[in-house]
Amino acid sequence: MSTKTPSSADILRPLQNTSKRFYLVFAVAALAFGLFLAGWVYQLQHGLIVTGLADWGSGGGVTWGLYIGAFIWWVGIAHGGIILSAAVRLLKMDRYMPVARLAELLTIAGLSAAGFYIIVHMGRPDRMVTSILGNYHVTVHNSPLVWDVTVITLYFVMTATYLLLTLRYDVTRLREGLPNRFEPLYKLLTLGYTEKEDEVVERMVWWLALAIIIMAPLLLHGGVIPWLFALIPTMPGWFGAIQGPQFLTIALTSAISGVIILSFGFRKAYDWDHIITDDIFRGLTLWLGFFAMLFLWLQLQQLVSGGFAAPIDQSVTFDSKVTHPAYVIPMGMVGLTLAYIFAQTVRPSLFTKARAIIAAVAVLIATLVEKVYFVVAGLMYPTFGLYEATPGAYFPSLIEISSVVGTIGMVTLFFLLVAKVIPVVELHAIEHLNETREGEHDGERGGGDSEPLTETATEPEVTA
Amino acid sequence: MSTEKSDATETLEALHTNEWEAEMRALLEDGDADADLGMAMAKDAQRLVAGELTEAEFAKRYHDAVLEEFDVDDQELPAALASIEDGDGLDDAALADRLAALEDGDMDRREVMKKMGAAGMFLGLGTWATTENADGPSPPASTAGEDEDGTQYGMVIDLEKCDGCLACVVACSQENDTSMGANWMYVFTYEDDHQDGENFLVRTCQHCTDAPCEKVCPTTARHTRTEDGLVLTDYDVCIGCRYCQVACPYGVNYFQWGEPDTPQAELDPDHVYDGRDRRVDSRPPKGVMGKCTMCPSRQDGKMGEDKVGSTACADACTMDAIHFGDMNDEGSDPNEYLERVRSENPNDREHFPNRPADTVNTFRLLEELGTDPNVVFVGNEPGPNATQVDGPVAYEDIGEVDRRKEVLDDGTFAGGVSP
Ligand code: SF4
Ligand code: SF4
Ligand code: SF4
Repeated sequence: MSTKTPSSADILRPLQNTSKRFYLVFAVAALAFGLFLAGWVYQLQHGLIVTGLADWGSGGGVTWGLYIGAFIWWVGIAHGGIILSAAVRLLKMDRYMPVARLAELLTIAGLSAAGFYIIVHMGRPDRMVTSILGNYHVTVHNSPLVWDVTVITLYFVMTATYLLLTLRYDVTRLREGLPNRFEPLYKLLTLGYTEKEDEVVERMVWWLALAIIIMAPLLLHGGVIPWLFALIPTMPGWFGAIQGPQFLTIALTSAISGVIILSFGFRKAYDWDHIITDDIFRGLTLWLGFFAMLFLWLQLQQLVSGGFAAPIDQSVTFDSKVTHPAYVIPMGMVGLTLAYIFAQTVRPSLFTKARAIIAAVAVLIATLVEKVYFVVAGLMYPTFGLYEATPGAYFPSLIEISSVVGTIGMVTLFFLLVAKVIPVVELHAIEHLNETREGEHDGERGGGDSEPLTETATEPEVTA
Repeated sequence: MSTEKSDATETLEALHTNEWEAEMRALLEDGDADADLGMAMAKDAQRLVAGELTEAEFAKRYHDAVLEEFDVDDQELPAALASIEDGDGLDDAALADRLAALEDGDMDRREVMKKMGAAGMFLGLGTWATTENADGPSPPASTAGEDEDGTQYGMVIDLEKCDGCLACVVACSQENDTSMGANWMYVFTYEDDHQDGENFLVRTCQHCTDAPCEKVCPTTARHTRTEDGLVLTDYDVCIGCRYCQVACPYGVNYFQWGEPDTPQAELDPDHVYDGRDRRVDSRPPKGVMGKCTMCPSRQDGKMGEDKVGSTACADACTMDAIHFGDMNDEGSDPNEYLERVRSENPNDREHFPNRPADTVNTFRLLEELGTDPNVVFVGNEPGPNATQVDGPVAYEDIGEVDRRKEVLDDGTFAGGVSP
């Protein structure tokens, strides 16, 4: 751990200095996003025929593909982000406080990317408002897609509220150091702020966090998103009760990976090694391992029940899984990550930040590929498989592939811009870090309590 | 209807239990109607029974709201409401009879509500009718005629007659100007473990009564026409999310991925809009979902009176395999055909009195999924291990395309080719 003392000047640095590298990253991200936007305009002109999609059945294709897979992926990342931040507030896992706001911002950005995918995926996005909202009172009773839109919107609003509430404290106290050109925005943000509200806000945030923690598994990634698929009885690759828990584990693995990469980027860019400490990375990696284990365990459940004495349609799905590279390789990647994290708990010296990053990237790629495979395989092996053209063929077109790069660019742009307007590390985190410095181990011990079991192995490392 | 206030309260209490409310609400929410409106109506209907509300008040209160909510059904409703409105000398018994008839025994209550349009009104008036008749003679509840079921278009397709000529496929694609490979009508030739030789399966949309495609649609674009049970897509409402295609077990949906082969200008407007003036017929525009429609503009008389009750595919079938009509009508072409086939194939009941009356095998496709399909097949059902094989006539031989992806791949932007 560094000997530097965390100060509010540290967290104001992104708002005050803009390096050359910032512009470079900005340009690359903008280019990626721009390229995809161009591709999307082309798609709007020519129709979804520009994708690799086609009709399932006699058509010999699949009707949902990478767009939907990437949609799930982004919701997963978004979803886990908010869970992580809520856990910090609810379970008092104070050690992760410095990355809590990053996780919240990741939720906003991830949900935006997911929302964007819904629009990109449609044949007639221009009718979104009239057709969906206009018939909402009818369709909300039946259509899982409408549930999705509802819950995603709800989540967006809740996260934004959460973020805005916690920002008031910081903006008031750091106003001096914030760039003047956003003055009206800060005024608006802190409208009517008094110190008396801090306590109230803290309580409100606590309740919001509780609501989010409860809602997440029930409604979002353990609920309506998997239900989009799990409720379709005629696609054996999808149907069934396990999709809820399975999706949740995927969301959490990918979200933690996202936070790891994000934290690493900010730490490197702004010399925050005394704020986002090695200890945080180590802890996040352990959590990643824990959820990766659950992820693989639930996959195993499906393989066993699909491979033993399954009905015909399900055994076809099983055969595809165990032979298809788009399933086998991602599983292998998550498995290797898990193996590394296990090894790291046993031999703490194996941990390096670079390895943590590699693990995170591997998991993100694996979850994306697995998700796309999941969507596609469901449609490839329907119960009614009489069509000679099933399983259909699918390979994403260049425009579809660029959508992934484009939305990553979009999310990057979001962070680059937000970091110029508000502090992405909470003032509370700095205050807390300084308290723990004075009180030595107390705070750290408190944080360790709710870690996964594997944590005990690294306890000695925490203070290293 | 001027009862004492206390009596009214008593009657209300008797009627309005919590279970009653929960059950009504559940029923209402199952249907398409506005549940709150329905509940309000049902409650007021009880007040009406209890004498707290006059008929005229009740009718006034709901007439407009009901019309607005159920604009599609404004033929039946006004009639029902009107009979309450010009209430002087209202023949309670007659009305009660009519309502009770609607509530007839096994007839699906939800179905009735759909047809009446106003679910709440039905439930409310149902209560009324029951009370009114409590001490009178009980209504002839089970005498409702067959035609009370309403029209449900569907088909009987005789697979034993089909020879795989694909004339129906061509006829449909010409009638509807569908794009290459969008085979709304599709004919399988298949081999199966337990069946000899060539077998056929003639596949349209099954126009399911419990259509999963309609359930999942986020926009109500996919809907069932109340007047005849056809499952259609409103091309002006569909957002092209393709969830219907995902949820349909039969794979009968064909999305309009790119510009249609036939431009809008070349379509006959009478063949695009149905009798309700909704854009549901002919090939879909770009970005919208299409599938077999069972030719609604024909059924609505927009293609000429002689085409009512016919479909292009059935017309084209020289083997007399496809029979389209009202499945609820004993005398319709499909039902008569079925009857004829059955009587032509009697079982040997003289020697084996326990055998069924005929040797005709019929099935509905994947009926076990609970979609309640409205196409009945005569012949054998393909088993789970059946495999499609080349038929006597190839799609390519008749200027059609079987595997649509081959056409679509031409439009794919880099990559996307079938491996
Ligand atoms: S066959 Fe498919 S598309 Fe047709 S009504 Fe049934 S579920 Fe809908
Ligand atoms: S593609 Fe159109 S008809 Fe089908 S579910 Fe989506 S909005 Fe409804
Ligand atoms: S009923 Fe009409 S739309 Fe359906 S397959 Fe026959 S011709 Fe085509």
